[in-house]
Amino acid sequence: IGEPVPPQRVEIHKLRQGENLILGFSIGGGIDQDPSQNPFSEDKTDKGIYVTRVSEGGPAEIAGLQIGDKIMQVNGWDMTMVTHDQARKRLTKRSEEVVRLLVTRQSLQKAVQQSMLS
Amino acid sequence: MFSRNHRSRVTVARGSALEMEFKRGRFRLSVFSDPPEDTELQRKLDHEIRMREGACKLLAACSQREQALEATKSLLVCNSRILSYMGELQRRKEAQVLGKTGRRPSDSGPPAERSPCRGRVCISDIRIPLMWKDTEYFKNKGDLHRWAVFLLLQLGEQIQDTEMVLVDRTLTDISFQNNVLFSEAGPDFELRLELYGACVEEEGALAGAPKRLATKLSSSLGRSSGKRVRASLDSAGSSGSSPILLPTPAVGGPRYHLLAHTTLTLAAVQNGFRTHDLTLAGHEESPAWLPLYGSVCCRLAAQPFCMTQPTAGGTLRVQQAGELQNGARVHGVLKGTNLFCYRKPEDADTGEEPLFTIAINKETRVRAGELEQAAGRPFTLSISNRYGDDEVTHTLQAESREALHNWMEALWQLFFDMSQWKHCCDEVMKIESPTPRKPPQALAKQGSLYHEMAIEPLDDIAAVTDILAQREGPRLETPPPWLAMFTDQPALPNPCSPASVAPASAWTHPLPWGRPRTFSLDAVPPDHPLGASRSVAPLPSQRSSRSRGLYNKGPLRTWLQSPV
Repeated sequence: IGEPVPPQRVEIHKLRQGENLILGFSIGGGIDQDPSQNPFSEDKTDKGIYVTRVSEGGPAEIAGLQIGDKIMQVNGWDMTMVTHDQARKRLTKRSEEVVRLLVTRQSLQKAVQQSMLS
Repeated sequence: MFSRNHRSRVTVARGSALEMEFKRGRFRLSVFSDPPEDTELQRKLDHEIRMREGACKLLAACSQREQALEATKSLLVCNSRILSYMGELQRRKEAQVLGKTGRRPSDSGPPAERSPCRGRVCISDIRIPLMWKDTEYFKNKGDLHRWAVFLLLQLGEQIQDTEMVLVDRTLTDISFQNNVLFSEAGPDFELRLELYGACVEEEGALAGAPKRLATKLSSSLGRSSGKRVRASLDSAGSSGSSPILLPTPAVGGPRYHLLAHTTLTLAAVQNGFRTHDLTLAGHEESPAWLPLYGSVCCRLAAQPFCMTQPTAGGTLRVQQAGELQNGARVHGVLKGTNLFCYRKPEDADTGEEPLFTIAINKETRVRAGELEQAAGRPFTLSISNRYGDDEVTHTLQAESREALHNWMEALWQLFFDMSQWKHCCDEVMKIESPTPRKPPQALAKQGSLYHEMAIEPLDDIAAVTDILAQREGPRLETPPPWLAMFTDQPALPNPCSPASVAPASAWTHPLPWGRPRTFSLDAVPPDHPLGASRSVAPLPSQRSSRSRGLYNKGPLRTWLQSPV
């Protein structure tokens, strides 16, 4: 079963790909999205931003980000009350090469189950 | 045997005489007049023939694989029923002929052998465990291999089927929700279960073993009916006794294969869940092979009619041995393992409590005859039960010799039924009437756009939105019932709450690794109230040229994902 894990700090160094700086993961959620379709959240009214995919070998994976993580902050900016596009923008600022995320994670067992389904 | 021009070539007939009759559309008991049971069977046969025509048409019109799977299943079930009924009619016809030319019933020969009462047999809560190897989870991570399976159940000439369920490696068991009831079975019944499966994806689409590919090629090349029939008969023969379901591949359509079977009899009946062995047909290389654990768990209940229906009733004078006064005059009703004695006949119907009840079970002893020889006490029988060390005897007096004879006869029949139905007569097993099954709906296409094409979404938003617009075509208001297999939430949406659509359905399709990153378009479509306009959900884009006006300020029912 396992207790909920305390919030994790994840520091991602973006990777330059041509003109873009990428982090190597995908996000879902936002206050303008339908939270009931979020498969990772325990509370189906939670409109927060979640990690829905982590690219193999990408900067996010290297930094220890995991699928199902909920992103609470990015470089100090709150991510619990943002729209989907605002969240994306806060992660992809061209002027920032490093982003520091504060994430919360479900218990280890649940996280394993989720990753086996994907 | 087959005519190439015949439109529906999906029938393989067992006996050629029957087949010729069937093809001519004439199958009647022509020689003798039909007894009422046979007209009933004939009616059922005609009904199945009509259903079969409908299923053929539907199959020809199917464009999607899931629809074709349902239609093929219906067709196969119809075919099996038709052959079963025809076989039964033939058997009855032969029995009739023998009966009429044999001895006459009015002869005083030995009395007809007592036959046990019939009963209802119900199988429910069927669960078949699967046994995925650990490697299955990590092999083909991008492709979720799915099977469509259903059970065919035969008891006597009755054939019933369960709903079709979809199975993939995220499931630990195959579960069938509905219960199947056979309304007339004898205690010597044999309930045959057969599990059929078909691949949801086209069999050639997945990287299969070369053998599977070769099978597919050889079955689709050179569409000579003879070759296909031979192949299908071969596969039928290899599974041992001939299966209920004839392997009748539809032209170019999906094909069901027998995966496992078992036969359940009275010994398997229990008022609770039990696990039985399944005989597996085929092996890893067989088409549509599923890793079955080898058991089936279910509740098989039987309700003999003697337990649920009264078998005798009438006026009796009952006296308990040892009591001095004249016996009470009651209305007795023999039902199940009890003789209920009511004050008056109407009480039995109105649900009044009986005055008293005499147990009749396999330990009871019944003696006919003039035991109580006190003057003027004819037509009596006595019933004795043992309770611990005590023996309690009741003496029943019937109104006439004939009435006494009827009571005796009913009691002997009851004892006989109890000896035949055995533990089913210990107590009445509950059987729930099966809820009427919803007709199989056109299944929503489960596939995501990942399977339809790979796109570079950052470059081609227009293409994606076009596709979305097209997909906002006919959609089910309610997800198909089998969706409940994939999620804990009920399959039917609750129109009142915003969380009204089963969300997990989109997620049983894993996001494929290594494919170009796309936006997830698996999001289940908005649950539109009837008549609402259908608008395409806008996608976030990296392009600065996108106008802000695209944002839909209304309640957005999507859950978008963006790569960063």
